[in-house]
Amino acid sequence: MKRAILLAVSISALLVAGGPAAAADAAKGIHVGNAGSFTGDAASPCMEIFHSAQLAVDEWNATGGIQGVQIEHIMGDDALDPAQGLNVAQRFVADERMYGVIGPPVSHIAQATLKTYGRAGLACITTAASKPELTESGFNHFFRVNARNDAHGYNCALFIQDTLQAKRVAVLNEKVAYCDNMATQTIKGLKALGVTDIFQDTIVAGAKDFYPVLTKVKNFNPDVLFFIATAAPDQAIGVRQARELGIKAIFLGSEGARDKKDFIEAAEGAAEGAYLYHFSPDIYAIDAAGGYVSAYEAKHGPLSGFGPAAYEAMNILLSAIDAAAADGDITRAEVVQHLHDIQGYSGILGIPITFDAKGDLEGGATYFFQVKGSEFVFQTVLTGK
Amino acid sequence: MDMFLEQLPQQLVNGITLGGVYALIAIGYSMVYGILSMLNFAHGEVYMIGGFTGWWVLHLLYRENALAMNAVAVIALMVVFAMAVSGILGVLIERVAYRPLRHAPRINLLLSALGVSIFLQNFVLTFQGAKVRSFPVAALVPESLRVIQLGPVVFSFMRVLVIVVCFCLMAGLSIMIKSTKLGKAMRATAQDVETAAFMGVDVDRIIMVVFFIGSALGGAASVLVGLLFTQVDYYAGFAAGLKGFTAAVLGGIGNLYGAMLGGFVLGLSEALAVTFFPAAYKDVVAFVILIAVLILRPWGLMGEKSPEKV
Repeated sequence: MKRAILLAVSISALLVAGGPAAAADAAKGIHVGNAGSFTGDAASPCMEIFHSAQLAVDEWNATGGIQGVQIEHIMGDDALDPAQGLNVAQRFVADERMYGVIGPPVSHIAQATLKTYGRAGLACITTAASKPELTESGFNHFFRVNARNDAHGYNCALFIQDTLQAKRVAVLNEKVAYCDNMATQTIKGLKALGVTDIFQDTIVAGAKDFYPVLTKVKNFNPDVLFFIATAAPDQAIGVRQARELGIKAIFLGSEGARDKKDFIEAAEGAAEGAYLYHFSPDIYAIDAAGGYVSAYEAKHGPLSGFGPAAYEAMNILLSAIDAAAADGDITRAEVVQHLHDIQGYSGILGIPITFDAKGDLEGGATYFFQVKGSEFVFQTVLTGK
Repeated sequence: MDMFLEQLPQQLVNGITLGGVYALIAIGYSMVYGILSMLNFAHGEVYMIGGFTGWWVLHLLYRENALAMNAVAVIALMVVFAMAVSGILGVLIERVAYRPLRHAPRINLLLSALGVSIFLQNFVLTFQGAKVRSFPVAALVPESLRVIQLGPVVFSFMRVLVIVVCFCLMAGLSIMIKSTKLGKAMRATAQDVETAAFMGVDVDRIIMVVFFIGSALGGAASVLVGLLFTQVDYYAGFAAGLKGFTAAVLGGIGNLYGAMLGGFVLGLSEALAVTFFPAAYKDVVAFVILIAVLILRPWGLMGEKSPEKV
């Protein structure tokens, strides 16, 4: 009985010690987590995120790690399932040598795990989750190096109204939270910018037959068709079937379309001239990213666009941990504070990174590209102005 | 209202094409049900594998942006190979997973069918991956034929092809069932397996033939969908199977012409639903029609109200 009580007391002591206020000796080890959907439908972009973050960790370790301690990068696979995401979060939070996490990159999983990470004060930097609510819940541990949906939505509205000079706009979105949100924010932005001739309807991902809904679009006769779907194959079908039906409108695709094989090649010419927006820049055009690009591609093949932000986020996280470790011990609170203190961090993304009070990327950034031949050619980057 | 009327001709074309495909899938369900009174849930996967077969044929004959032979021959080969592979797969499934259970309770057959379906889906996932495969169809159709404008309606060559092939296959099947000896034997077996066997019909062979034909038509449907919508993936059988099954029930499961009618009713109702309602209600409308038909005519549009067999 005595032993049981002793055990219970020591377990609670451990739990308390592992809590947010704990100050740990850096020499005991430094862990950073990577929470993402490494198996399942989003496996390929998430593995790109993991490999890119690993590159950053390897580079830090090669130059002596932090305070001479090698950094350990730990994968937490949620298989695109919020319940498993929560398990990952609990595991990371319980690891007292864990000082920060990259991810989760998927909005609804970030949402499901927000409180778990938040209560433990464990810094999270997402590289892709763009749902606005994630930084509106009062926690200060959540950061993003990508722009929020509402920023993207407004920037897309601006692009449609100002750059493309459209008066009539059709918006088709897949019936999932991210795409729905994007459509709502864009339409809100369009109305604010004075574009009121708007047609909106939905598509089902993977349905393969978009002719019926595109027939409605054709009837509406828009200047721009904004096609918001997660996966590149759906985008390819969208643009192909739109052209086959004789829809002349400018096609503006969403982030998922940035895939040469599954969008440009698969559409067999129909994608020529189409535009798309993306949260990440043309990494090949940024000089500072040269080293990262060649190191990544030598090991893992061509980049799709999810990697650079992860490399950047890991470097930012490690510099915050490094700053926190300067006095020999690290606390999670110090790491969070140092992240908030970062001003105009200049890495490989081509924009200065500062987090605002909520943890959002200041100004947001939406990059626009156009399909020319077999390439995505950078057009402009809009930051809400 | 004008807006709806303008779209109507195009939506009818959209619906008929989709309906033809649904009908081909539904025939597979209906034929098997007619003879064995079982729902072959593996049919969707047989359909999907037909699509992959067509994709492979095209993939092997399309190299360096050029076709190895005439486009018509390529399409014909795609359809024939897909039908052969799907047909043989159907026969194999019957032999391995259904025949040993023929005299077991129906629920065992149903579970076996579900098992085959899950197995095949994961088999393809393992060997082909989760990536969507695109059919490079541009090479199959000359630029001038890709889009044909006929008054207010836009046809693509592929769409015409799909409609024509669907109707030819259905007509061929109807003629075969109506006026050949094999067709007669199939009808007899569907009516009563035991009596047909007494009359000298080789029931096992007829069941094999039924599985072959039903599966082959599914395979053909899959290639047609591939040519029209340009994609196939390991999960394609699920939605197609569900729609085909719905069409079969709608028309009266077990009845061949019912399956065809059910397919067209379903395809058209989906296209028209999109015309009048937000597209998200497409499946809602389709299934409301199914439920309404089942309440008013539980035996389906063309099914027969058959008393329990004695």
